[in-house]
Amino acid sequence: MSWTVPLVRASQRVSSVGANFLCLKMALCPRQAARIPLKGAWRFTSVSKMATVKSELIERFTSEEPVHHSKVSIIGTGSVGMACAISILLKGLIDELALVDLDEGKLKGETMDLQHGSSFTKMPNIVCSKDYFVTANSNLVIITAGARQEKGETRLNLVQRNVALFKLMISNIVQHSPHCKLIIVSNPVDILSYVAWKLSAFPKNRVIGSGCNLDTARFRFLIGQKLGIHSESCHGWILGEHGDSSVPVWSGVNIAGVPLKDLNSDIGTDKDPEQWKNVHEEVIATAYEIIKMKGYTSWAIGLSVADLTESILKNLRRTHPVSTIIKGLYGIDEEVFLSIPCILGENGITHLIKIKLTPEEEARLKKSAKTLWEIQKELKI
Amino acid sequence: MFSVVNPMKLHYAYQVLQMSTVKEQLIEKLIEDDKNSQCKITIVGTGAVGMACAISILLKDLADELALVDVASDKLKGEMMDLQHGSLFFSTSKITSGKDYSVSANSRIVIVTAGARQQEGETRLDLVQRNVTIMKSIIPAIVHYSPDCKILVVSNPVDILTYIVWKISGLPITRVIGSGCNLDSARFRYLIGEKLGVHSTSCHGWIIGEHGDSSVPLWSGVNVAGVALKTLDPKLGTDSDKEHWENIHKQVIQSAYEIIKLKGYTSWAIGLSVMDLVGSILKNLRRVHPVSTMVKGLYGIKEEIFLSIPCVLGRNGVSDVVKINLNSEEEALFKKSAETLWNIQKDLVF
Repeated sequence: MSWTVPLVRASQRVSSVGANFLCLKMALCPRQAARIPLKGAWRFTSVSKMATVKSELIERFTSEEPVHHSKVSIIGTGSVGMACAISILLKGLIDELALVDLDEGKLKGETMDLQHGSSFTKMPNIVCSKDYFVTANSNLVIITAGARQEKGETRLNLVQRNVALFKLMISNIVQHSPHCKLIIVSNPVDILSYVAWKLSAFPKNRVIGSGCNLDTARFRFLIGQKLGIHSESCHGWILGEHGDSSVPVWSGVNIAGVPLKDLNSDIGTDKDPEQWKNVHEEVIATAYEIIKMKGYTSWAIGLSVADLTESILKNLRRTHPVSTIIKGLYGIDEEVFLSIPCILGENGITHLIKIKLTPEEEARLKKSAKTLWEIQKELKI
Repeated sequence: MFSVVNPMKLHYAYQVLQMSTVKEQLIEKLIEDDKNSQCKITIVGTGAVGMACAISILLKDLADELALVDVASDKLKGEMMDLQHGSLFFSTSKITSGKDYSVSANSRIVIVTAGARQQEGETRLDLVQRNVTIMKSIIPAIVHYSPDCKILVVSNPVDILTYIVWKISGLPITRVIGSGCNLDSARFRYLIGEKLGVHSTSCHGWIIGEHGDSSVPLWSGVNVAGVALKTLDPKLGTDSDKEHWENIHKQVIQSAYEIIKLKGYTSWAIGLSVMDLVGSILKNLRRVHPVSTMVKGLYGIKEEIFLSIPCVLGRNGVSDVVKINLNSEEEALFKKSAETLWNIQKDLVF
C-alpha cells in the first residue's frame, strides 16, 4: 500500500520543523478510519449553514496533529489481553491504545467498556479494529493471541498451528510499526518468541518474550510469604524455560543483600530440611492450579506485562527475567529463546546480565535449549 | 533417659539444635506484627464486575487489605491467588478470600457486586426478586462483621437493591450508597467529549435519577470550561435540536445493553467507577458524585426511594447532598423515575 511509506516516516519522533506535514496528514487517515463511531454519534448536519455547539464553543488553534510516542497495541482481547490493557491504562503509561482481535463483537464491546471509564482514569485514546492498520506507529506491540492447546494435542502440533497464526499477525504488525518492540505473551512463549523473531526479521533487541517475568514474581511472592516480608524486598530469579523446566537460581536469592544460601547451604536441594525447593515447585504448580479453579490466569500476567511495558516506554533500564535469544551463552549452540536477566529500555533488550550459574543450573538450561530446538527445527516457518 | 519419642520429633529437635531456620537466622523480631488493617475493603462477588473493582482498587493503592467473598469456592480461590501473584506490582499487602463472611471483618467499605446478571435484552428491573433473595443471605453477615462499614451496592437494579440493602442492614442512610448514576454520568461525559473533541474529564454533565432507562440528563448543567452548552444551543437536549444532542443520553441508556450484546457483560467501566467512589470515601475527599441515596422529601417525593443525586462523599459515606434546581421538566422526569421504581418496590417480598 502506497500510503504506508509516508506512515513510516511519520512514526519517527518529529520536531515540527522537520516534519513532512503531508506525511502527517496521511498518517491521520488510518487513525481516523479506525475509530469506530458509536451508533448515532456522528449524524450529518449541514455545517455550512448552521454553527454547531462545537464550532461556537471551540476555536481551532493549530492544524498539527499529535504524533504518538507511547502507543501500545494489544493483539488479542481475551482475559490476558484485557488484563494487560487495564493494568497499562491504570498505570497511565500510554497516549494511545489499539486493540486487535478477530472477534469483532468482543473487540468492540471491550473497547467501549474501557472508553466509558474515561473520566475515572484520564483514559487516552483507544482504537480497535480487526484490521492491523489501527496498530500503526506503535511503540510496543503485545501479542497475547494464540491457539489454545486442545485435549491430547502434542506440543509440536500446537506450535505449528500458532506459527500459521503468527505468520499473519507478525507481517501485519511489522508493516504498520516497523520500529516497534514486540512483547510475546502467548504460550509456549519461548518458542513463539523465536517464531516472532524469525518472522519479523527484527533485530534481537526488539523481540521480548514475557518468559519468566511472571514465574519470578510468583517466586518472590512465595518467598515473601515464607519470611513474612513483602515480595518487593525478596530477591530471587527464575530463569530458563517458562513453565515446568524453569530454573530457580538459589545462589541469588537474598534479602537485604544476605544470600539465603549463606544461611542454609542446602537451600534448593533435596537435603534441605526446610525444603525451600517446594517454593519453586509451587511456582510451577500454581499456574495449573489457578487454571483449574478459575479457568485461566489473567491478573498476574497482566500486571507483569504492564511492568515490562513501563520499563520499555519510560526507558527505565531495569532488569527483568525475559525470554531472549541465548545462543552463544552457557554453552548453548541452538538458536533458542530462554529467560535471563535483561536490561529493558526504549530499545528493548539493550544489555544482558552475565549471571553465573552452577554447573547444574547450566545443564538444565542446555537441556531446555535442546528440547526447544527439537520442536523448533520441525517448524515450517 | 528419653521415653520413646517419635523419631521425626527427635530429628526436628536435633535440627533445631544444629541449625535454626533461614528466617530465624535472617530476621530478628522486635515486635509482633500489627495485623489490624487501617483500610480494608471487601468485595462480595468475584464475577467480572467484582474482579474489575478489585484490580482497579489494587492499581490505585486504595486499600491495605482486600477480602474477596463468593459462593463459588474454586473461582474465589483462583481469583485470589491470581491477584496475590501480582503482589510484586502493587502495594496491598494482604489479599484474602473465603465463603464465610468472617473474612470480611473490620472492613471500611464492603462492595456488593453479587447477584444475578442482566441477560441480553433483560431489563434491570427483571432481575429484582432474584437479587432480593441473594441480598438477604449476604447483608446480615456483612453488618455483623463490619458494623461500622459503608456498603457500596453495585448489583442491579442498583437503586432498588440499595433500598433493600438499607432496609436489611439497619444502617443509617449515609452509609448505604448505590453506585447509581456515577457510571451513567461518566458515559455521558465521555460521549460529550467525543462529540466535541475534548477529554471527558473536561466535559461536565450530570445524569441523575434511576440508573437505567428512566435516568434524567441535566442539560442545563452540561458545560465545558464553565460555558453552558445550552447557552450556545437553547434547544440542547430537546427533540427539535438540529444537532440531536439528546441522542447522547439515549446512547448512555443503550450502552450497557450494547456492550452486553457485544462482549457478554460490562466490567471495566463499572470497576473504574467503583474505584472512583471508593477513593472519595476512603480519603475523605468530599468530592461530589451522582450516587444512589434516599431521596424521600426531595423534589416532592413521598416514598422511601433511592435515586441518584449529587452527593458529597467522605469518610462517613454520604455526608451532604447538593440541592440542584431542577426545571419543571427535569423534576417531572425525576418523579417519574421514582414512580417506576416504587411500582416495583412496593410489591417486593422480603
